Amino acid sequence: MDVASTAAMLHTLQDPTGIPSHPLIFQVLMVFTWVPHILFVNISLGAALMGLYAFTKRHDPHWQKLSEAMTKVAKVGVSLLVVLGVAPLLFTQTIYDPQWYASNLLSASWVIGFIFTLTIGYLAWFTFYLKNHGDHAPGWIFWLGVFGLAMFFLDGFIMHVLAYQGLHPEKWVEWYTPDGHVDMSGNSVHAYELVRWGFFMAMSVTVFGAFLIAYGDYFKVRADRGPAYLAFARKLGSQIAFVGAVAQVVLLLGWMLDVPAALKIWTHPMSWLLLIYLGVLVAAFAVARGSDTQGQGYKLLTLSIGMAGLVAIFREVLRMAYMAPFNYSVLDYKVLWDVPSFVLFLLTIVGVGGLMGGFIITLVYKAGRVSGVYQADATVSRLGVGSVAATALWVAGFMAVGIWIWLSNNG
Amino acid sequence: MLEMLGLYPQWYVPGIGTAWVMGIIGTIHVLASHTSVGAAWLFALLAQKSVSENKPEIMLYLKKYGMFLLVFSYIIGSITGPGIWYSVTVASPRGISGLIHNFVWLWASEWVFFFVEVIGVYAMVYLIGKIDNKTYLKLAWSFALASWATMILIVPILSFMMWPGNDQWYSTGSTFDAAFNLNYFAHLGIRTAFMFAVAGAVGGIIAATLKDRETRIEITRFLSKMGLAGMFLMLVMFMWYTATLPENARLIMETQMMPKYGSTLGALLLATLVYFIFTAWKPMYLRQGVAVVMTLAIGLFGLWPEERSRESMRKPYVAGQYIYSNQFFSRDVPGKGVVSDMPLIEAKGVLATNYFVPEELRKITPENQLRAGEVLTKIMCANCHSVESDGALRPLPPLFGHSDEPKMIQAYLDGALYHGKIPYMPRMPLPEDERAAMALYIASLSGYTPPAVAVSQATHSSSAKGVN
Ligand code: HEC
Ligand code: HEM
Repeated sequence: MDVASTAAMLHTLQDPTGIPSHPLIFQVLMVFTWVPHILFVNISLGAALMGLYAFTKRHDPHWQKLSEAMTKVAKVGVSLLVVLGVAPLLFTQTIYDPQWYASNLLSASWVIGFIFTLTIGYLAWFTFYLKNHGDHAPGWIFWLGVFGLAMFFLDGFIMHVLAYQGLHPEKWVEWYTPDGHVDMSGNSVHAYELVRWGFFMAMSVTVFGAFLIAYGDYFKVRADRGPAYLAFARKLGSQIAFVGAVAQVVLLLGWMLDVPAALKIWTHPMSWLLLIYLGVLVAAFAVARGSDTQGQGYKLLTLSIGMAGLVAIFREVLRMAYMAPFNYSVLDYKVLWDVPSFVLFLLTIVGVGGLMGGFIITLVYKAGRVSGVYQADATVSRLGVGSVAATALWVAGFMAVGIWIWLSNNG
Repeated sequence: MLEMLGLYPQWYVPGIGTAWVMGIIGTIHVLASHTSVGAAWLFALLAQKSVSENKPEIMLYLKKYGMFLLVFSYIIGSITGPGIWYSVTVASPRGISGLIHNFVWLWASEWVFFFVEVIGVYAMVYLIGKIDNKTYLKLAWSFALASWATMILIVPILSFMMWPGNDQWYSTGSTFDAAFNLNYFAHLGIRTAFMFAVAGAVGGIIAATLKDRETRIEITRFLSKMGLAGMFLMLVMFMWYTATLPENARLIMETQMMPKYGSTLGALLLATLVYFIFTAWKPMYLRQGVAVVMTLAIGLFGLWPEERSRESMRKPYVAGQYIYSNQFFSRDVPGKGVVSDMPLIEAKGVLATNYFVPEELRKITPENQLRAGEVLTKIMCANCHSVESDGALRPLPPLFGHSDEPKMIQAYLDGALYHGKIPYMPRMPLPEDERAAMALYIASLSGYTPPAVAVSQATHSSSAKGVN
């Protein structure tokens, strides 16, 4: 399809309902809520792979302990990454609805397959986790774990396909009607970019490595995790992270070479910022690799989170570049402000997210560092009261507003 | 009037149709998510009981229950949640898009609750017995309230799908006017009641295995009472709910849903009542297998009809009585600037105005008529009808009495459907040639061979291009 028709199609497909706040708000939320999603994708994929690798060496107590711990990290991580994926999914569908829906419909069977494989993959992993205890864990469960991880990789690939097909609106009609024959099966994957997918996989190596170093630091106050084991984890972590960071640089260059030259991604400052930042990461992990990283874990993890933030922005810059020839800019989206529901969101994120989220995270963090029963200190105790109060007030407030509106509209 | 339609590509699932794909995932999700919300309340109530009556053995029950809560309901609920979302995306893109663009901030608020919930669930399970009781109770109650809040936030969207119930939203476009629609509170009431009922049944699966006799009796009775209260509330709310439904929904419920599912639902209701009364009376007789069967029965015989009915009853619409199931906008919504698709398809038809149609089908000719008819039929009807005779979703050929006469079929398209005379089907004011093509195709499903195709098949049999 030519550029002008594609542009017209994209604008027709945009939901005529418009959006209820300024597009920039959605765009910023979309980019930054994706960061925790990809971080947990990275940690989970890395931890699952490590959990399996360490399982094969479980006659060694360090590896055995690591296998159990990483299996559990992946179990928790996947359930978090799913929930964390919901927010960027929502915001993508709000401002990039034509791209997201068209891409999903064109590979609809894969979209449904994604859900089923994620569910059975997770159940397989969960079973592996339940059985992976002690050095006498039965060998066959390894294959259950391998199956689970394979499903996670497949799901990451499907995610990638959905994101990538959305960038090529000029090909949608051709994909849907090959040789004038309408394909409603949704059975095909029409496009993918292996270097791009590879980049996110390499990123998993880096982020997981940094996570492992931080893991070693977090548990240093726990008497039941020996210092030798923790040092072992940290050392492993810094070696892994170094390899990941180097692979990321290579794959990013490959990715940028694969992007059509007309998009001029090489001259965009964001590309260079990301490359330089990755260079710094390589250097930081190179240093970490040769020294004892005790106490460095949180710093290195924070550095990696910063990288994820830049990757998120880079992805969006790239998407904007892909869309520019079609005059598709989210900033032009029709806006019909809806202030009350926006205020509801703000109150919810500050009140409930802040108080209840703050309470739970602080509680888990502090209780995790104590071997016996944890006695709440004054801060945690007050946060707890705040948490119950905020949720109760939220429910009461929402109901009150609801009843009032319901009565005035239906009375 | 618009220039082009904003239709997306279509996903066609032979046999069961996309509606069943949604129904299957929906049923699993509803069972899991309601169980998880109900379980959160059960957890909080029992933890409170354990602390205030100083019965640590109840906490032990919770520790056991917690694992179960975690695996069965929470995780399955949180994966199938996006699962529904994805399946609706491919079954009804403009429907979900309309909902997202109306309710994005409600959904975003719900996400905040999801997020605190998912970390909360781990905290509840791992910290049980590892933190002081008072703090644990704060955690449990925050979690219960947050879980319920996710339900409070999703029901506005689900009930708006049925209808706004008044004209306010069409002119204001306000999210809250859409959210607090006529049947919101009744719908929320049913789901809240259901969550207690199902948690009562699920709780029994673990309660039946408790070792300590006294605790087992006490908890089983507690579950039975909770289940009974839930059932009772559900009946009351259901009566209110039916009173808040639009005319077309009540009609479909009475003429189609009740004959199909009425006796199943009645039997299930009776069985559930008997189950709860019996377990309250003789708690020690409760066996784990029985509780498992009860839970599955609620899912299979209760939720499947519920999910299918909810989908059927809002016919011909998918959301807000302005988006038809087949993805067309049925009317203007001035408050949002949405313009009806009807004038455009009346003037120019669908083939010429849909981007996702091959160039050679844009104009109907005797040669491409059958293929055009197939594409059109799938766009216009497949959301609600299978085209295969033995399809599971209201298959078209039998509904036309397996007619192989295009004229007879076209009469139906020209009359009832053109003018939107059937309360559960969309209006489809298509031009003459498109109706003729559809009639031809539908007749061909029952054996009719159009002359042009017969000729071309005889001359070059290899060019059988169609839709798959
Ligand atoms: C919004 C959903 C929907 C769409 C779209 C739809 N139908 Fe229906 N149709 C129904 C329902 C519901 C019934 C009732 C089925 C039953 O009784 O089992 C029905 C029944 C019918 C019947 C049986 C006669 C009757 O009046 O009940 C025919 C014939 C029919 N549809 C043809 C079509 C054709 C042809 C199309 C496409 C041009 C179409 N329908 C599109 C929902 C739909
Ligand atoms: C094991 C499961 C998953 C893995 C491995 C995974 C991995 C990924 C990866 C690698 C990307 C980047 C793709 C690219 O830019 O090329 C991505 C993007 C994304 N993921 Fe996931 N993901 C998973 C599950 C989920 C789930 C369950 C959701 C939703 C609830 C989700 C929502 C998203 C969204 C919205 C994007 C951005 C898409 C876009 O911008 O177009 N993911 N994911």
